[in-house]
Amino acid sequence: MISRITVVVIAVVLFVYNPVIWVTRAQEAQTETEAVQLIGLAGLKDNTKGRLLVVNGSLRFIHSKGNAEVPAAAIEDVVTGRDSQRVIGGTLGTLTMLAPFGSGRVLSLFRTKLDTLTIQFRAAGGGLHGAIFTVPLGKAEIIKQELISHGAKTSIPTQADPKTTTSKMKEKK
Amino acid sequence: MSLSFRNAVSCFLLSALSLAGPLAQAQQRQPAKIKASAIQVMMIQSDKVTVPAEFQVSLYEELIDQLRQKGDFSRVYRDGDRNAATVPDLIVLQCTVESFKQGSEKTRQVTTVAGATSITLRCQFKDERGNSLLERNITGKVRFFGGNLKATYDFAKKAASAAGENFGSRN
Repeated sequence: MISRITVVVIAVVLFVYNPVIWVTRAQEAQTETEAVQLIGLAGLKDNTKGRLLVVNGSLRFIHSKGNAEVPAAAIEDVVTGRDSQRVIGGTLGTLTMLAPFGSGRVLSLFRTKLDTLTIQFRAAGGGLHGAIFTVPLGKAEIIKQELISHGAKTSIPTQADPKTTTSKMKEKK
Repeated sequence: MSLSFRNAVSCFLLSALSLAGPLAQAQQRQPAKIKASAIQVMMIQSDKVTVPAEFQVSLYEELIDQLRQKGDFSRVYRDGDRNAATVPDLIVLQCTVESFKQGSEKTRQVTTVAGATSITLRCQFKDERGNSLLERNITGKVRFFGGNLKATYDFAKKAASAAGENFGSRN
């Protein structure tokens, strides 16, 4: 006869080491990332810093003054891209342009690569909205796939190689 | 003394008259604004030219922002907004990308003279029946400071000004 204590211990062990729970936790940790909202979300200033994650089938942007949420099902297009920014940016970056002997210009050569995440979605009244985020390199595609799995649509199913895209554009010109 | 004063006055009057004439004519030539209380901005089209999605969205959002800030229209509707269907004097703005040259922020910062980004759009202002009221090519550029997307802000400012000069609820 198995004692009640043994049953409880087995149940607790099974619950803690349940692979489904671990997979879910891992996915949540994967999608949450630092982000900058460049433009588009209502009530938010351009270049607002925050955190971006996919939760309960919605894209959530957490910033210092609250949250903004877009249901994945309302997203008509989600596209990723590549960009870069100066390592030393902002006001300090602008001031370095005044540095003597063109040293500020040399600093412009040091840049960090980042991803862009662009979404188009419909609000309750049917109006089309767009929003652009920048996220660390490699994160945009993960968020995109997460959104697609929750019902978001995309015009580019797999990420196009940025170099290939650029060369094609040049060929067209 | 009095003769030179008289000459000076007559010279001044003549020059004032010669300037006032063309100015008055220019004011008369300026077309009257078409009355419109609301404008609906449609999503930017790029059939001929390939434009990155972030440019397309940024052009659209900046345009809506600038039209709201200028305040020439009492309401600015988005593409697909159902409330726009009931507005009687609605202007529909459809912009199509005509040309696009993506520069480089790094090149601009290093060289100052190279790496400009430029985007030209054909802006069509239509009435609610789809009749074209005004068509204009507007170019947005970023030459020195700022990221490539700043060209979309430049375009939006010019397009909002063009809309305000020709249409609006205020005279």
